[in-house]
Amino acid sequence: MFLNMKLLAQHTLNGFGGMGEGMSMQLARDGRRVLWLAHESAPKNFTAVDVSDPRAPKVIVQTDLPHAQMRSNSLEVAGDLMAVAYQVTRLGLKPAGFELFDISTPEKPKSISSFDASGPHSRGCHQLWFVDGKTVHMACADPELKPRDPKDDQVYRIVDVANPSKPVAVGRWHLPGTMDGDDAPPPKRLPAKFDAGFRAHNTNVYPERPDRCYLAYIDGGVMVMDIADRARPKMLSHWTNSPPYNGFNHTVLPLFGRGLLVVSDECVQDNGADWPKLVWMLDARDETNLVSVSTLPAPPVDVFRTKGGRFGAHNLHENPPVPGAWRSEDIVVGTFFNAGVRAYDVSDPYSPREIAYYVPPSPENSKTGQIQLNDVFVDDRGIVFTVDRGGGGLYILEMNV
Amino acid sequence: MTPDGRTPVVVVTGFLGSGKTTLVNQLVKRQGDSLVIVNEFGEIPVDHLLVEASTEKTVALPNGCLCCHLRGDLEETLIGAAMRRRRGEIAGFDRVIVETSGLADPGPVAQTLYADPALARDFKLGPIVTVVDAADFEARKVSREIARAQIVAADVVVLSKVDRAGDAASIEAEVRELNSTVACIRAEFGNVNPAALLNIKPGTDHVFSPARHNDAIRSFALRFDQPVRRELLQRFLSTLVDLRGADLLRVKGFVPVEEGLVAVQGVRHVFDRLRPVSPSQAGAEPVLVFITHRIGHAEVQGLWAAMRQLGQGL
Repeated sequence: MFLNMKLLAQHTLNGFGGMGEGMSMQLARDGRRVLWLAHESAPKNFTAVDVSDPRAPKVIVQTDLPHAQMRSNSLEVAGDLMAVAYQVTRLGLKPAGFELFDISTPEKPKSISSFDASGPHSRGCHQLWFVDGKTVHMACADPELKPRDPKDDQVYRIVDVANPSKPVAVGRWHLPGTMDGDDAPPPKRLPAKFDAGFRAHNTNVYPERPDRCYLAYIDGGVMVMDIADRARPKMLSHWTNSPPYNGFNHTVLPLFGRGLLVVSDECVQDNGADWPKLVWMLDARDETNLVSVSTLPAPPVDVFRTKGGRFGAHNLHENPPVPGAWRSEDIVVGTFFNAGVRAYDVSDPYSPREIAYYVPPSPENSKTGQIQLNDVFVDDRGIVFTVDRGGGGLYILEMNV
Repeated sequence: MTPDGRTPVVVVTGFLGSGKTTLVNQLVKRQGDSLVIVNEFGEIPVDHLLVEASTEKTVALPNGCLCCHLRGDLEETLIGAAMRRRRGEIAGFDRVIVETSGLADPGPVAQTLYADPALARDFKLGPIVTVVDAADFEARKVSREIARAQIVAADVVVLSKVDRAGDAASIEAEVRELNSTVACIRAEFGNVNPAALLNIKPGTDHVFSPARHNDAIRSFALRFDQPVRRELLQRFLSTLVDLRGADLLRVKGFVPVEEGLVAVQGVRHVFDRLRPVSPSQAGAEPVLVFITHRIGHAEVQGLWAAMRQLGQGL
């Protein structure tokens, strides 16, 4: 199924095509465009693909994780540095945190340092944001904290990597009431079937507002954080849709010129069991008073909901402020698992329109029998890169809108 | 400048036997991913059998001429196609090609796309392509008014069968006398460059030559060097429509308003809403082209000047 998107190429990444939510482009010194991709699960850590010719992608390096009880899931590139998140499947395991690599020679990534966040209550780092080459903002456990509920371990953390060989933790914030010793009472949890935790997910910081973090906090809603003092982040505003919705706020994408925030949920259950999972448009002209004004039109629910696998919102192209990335304040591009990758015209935030989509056929080795598009990155040529959570690997599309 | 993901509807018109079907076949073969809607006029719908595209993406609108009573069917077909595409019930398509019957005035097809908000959400008017049989221009005199309407409405005229035409240049001159803004493409056996043809935007991409007057058909342009007030532009167009809507055979172009360039398109009394230009139209010339029936440049220019002056206090 397609509208205004055309498949240029697919690459199953040497048979390891189950991809996570780390996609970042490097403009290499020799002129190549290298797309770095994090894998959804072991055994692979990350894969680099030369996408200079989007019709002929070439894998140039693929690495292994140190063991199978972990996943990388998220990565970001800033210049010749790459940060890779490490999350473990059992509390206390290592490596949990992130690792920094020198990727100046993309074929030979060299480890520079690791940031250790392992501990008896830690699953490590699920997601990180690293765009300025100096600071990692991330959703990661802190061994100094003991969550009241084990699902709430990953908090918002800021790590200074100006000296890449010596990362230094400089600040953190968690939702009051979620840690032992907090004065606030524990937050009211969602029903057990939807309880995914009060913990950080995406932690976006942009040069337009280096004193702000746009934070999604899974079942805890989303926050605009004042990080002018990095040691003591403060919550400026808070918006939540759950209950009555089913939690898992994933990404907050600010459209600075328009006073808007785009907030995506994540679907985490198969066959529509946690539907609806939507993308929300918030009026943020007053950043202390976030107002929901619309949701992006959902793909046809009766067609996709029970088709198999997950169905609903997940990652957005986040307008990363890095060379090679496309940035738009009028078009939002997101992945919707079995409903593919979709683009929306949000020039009228009260009436967003779907303007493009591509739903690949189910890949041969899909566990769910359906495509499960997981993440998306759009480059400044207008080329859309999207990855399958199952086994389809990388899909490269041309968008014409 | 706003994104525009709407699917263009290319209208191919021209007299019976002029080579429309050959042209549509070429477009589908060489460009692909098109939904073809064929409109027959007559008891035996044969044209769609000649369209060699995959039949699942060819829809026939039976028994009638698009410009008369089939507008409802066209709306229904297009909206249905968009719904089925979104649900994955039919293969995707990037454009629609409507092949009208030989006797159709394409203007009402354009009006349908302007006037129906549900349709205009998913579709936009693409180029109107009129196929003119270069070898048999005289035959068009039999249905002179329809022949004129087809040429006047066109963004592109494909002169077919130029291999058989004695003097294609003089036929092209006759076409330009009716529509001085039209792009003319010569084709032998339907062979044209589909990209060149389909990428022509409705509007004023091609060079506007100075007006030459047929006995009744006039064409001229208003230039807008400064941004104008959107409301005033809207009132100007409304006034023109109120006074002489039936004689506005085609109005198209781009006008700068306070918030940027807007596209203006109209056929007779029906105009598309003023839309911010899409990225591909960002560099368009700020010119509004009129093709009219017995309305002159001076009158329209005078009305605009007067309204600008009177509107200063609004």
